[in-house]
Amino acid sequence: MRIAVGCDHVMVELKNRIAEYAASKGHVVQDMGTLNGERTHYPIYGKRVADSVASGQADRGILVCGSGLGISISANKVAGIRAVVGNGIDTVRYARQQLNANVMGVGGMVTGWGVVQDMVDAFLETDYSETEANKRWIEEIDGMVRDNGQMGDVNIFSDLLQKWDRGEYNC
Amino acid sequence: MKFIIGSDNDGYALKERIKRHLIAKNAEVLDKTEREDVSFAESAKRVAEAVAEGEGDYGIVVDLYGTGSFIAANKVKGIICAALTDEYSAHMTRRHNNASMIALGSGVVGEQLALRLVDVFSETAFDGGRQRIRVDMLNRMIREEA
Repeated sequence: MRIAVGCDHVMVELKNRIAEYAASKGHVVQDMGTLNGERTHYPIYGKRVADSVASGQADRGILVCGSGLGISISANKVAGIRAVVGNGIDTVRYARQQLNANVMGVGGMVTGWGVVQDMVDAFLETDYSETEANKRWIEEIDGMVRDNGQMGDVNIFSDLLQKWDRGEYNC
Repeated sequence: MKFIIGSDNDGYALKERIKRHLIAKNAEVLDKTEREDVSFAESAKRVAEAVAEGEGDYGIVVDLYGTGSFIAANKVKGIICAALTDEYSAHMTRRHNNASMIALGSGVVGEQLALRLVDVFSETAFDGGRQRIRVDMLNRMIREEA
């Protein structure tokens, strides 16, 4: 499968390790950044990976930040994305089987490498098992946000980044 | 403090337990699903839209794994919902993400942990400062229909 990966500036090493692990299992990995420790903002990378999966350029996405939450939340804002927070192997398996989750978030401050490996395995190897009930759930979720022009829009955060550069976020 | 809560059938018992806990703490609780048999997506949507409209301070949604509610709640513009299983994430998602909602899995977290997560989450403040740009970015996502 084609796996898009992304992370915040604190979790670059773990993202790289996950990318290597997925590649060692025969997957083709697309690294959407960030690539180094320079301070940046997790929604940028969550959206990049989510756009890549939603547009069909990648089959699945894996995202890493401290808790796994912020970056997964940003992915879920994208139409067609169902992102699970990997806070347990069983949860990831459920999300694949029942919700056909296409993105997984990992919390590098929360989860150790052994569990991360098993979650990556569960995420990449568990098939969606369609039923009338879960088909309806997925339709309900996907019906909440339709693409209305935001997908692939790389300028969506431009004015906020300009505000940041002007020091208006007190940093 | 006012909480808006909801669940599907799988989350019903834990939702009721959380409700009793909050009421015992003198918090105000608005239950958007009561005894109704609704899907997690419907429950999450009702709670998220009410939180987005400012009907309460925080939203809590419960289903079997918390994941379905987590995904659905975040599909509502302006909502930042965290799926929680540990206390660290419960306080960090307030400090860094300014989350206004949490999703819990009745099949994943025990009763005592669930109540702790609710308390830790609702008693932690947002850091503000540089975290604010990331929250602005999240709130920017999902464009209003033209």
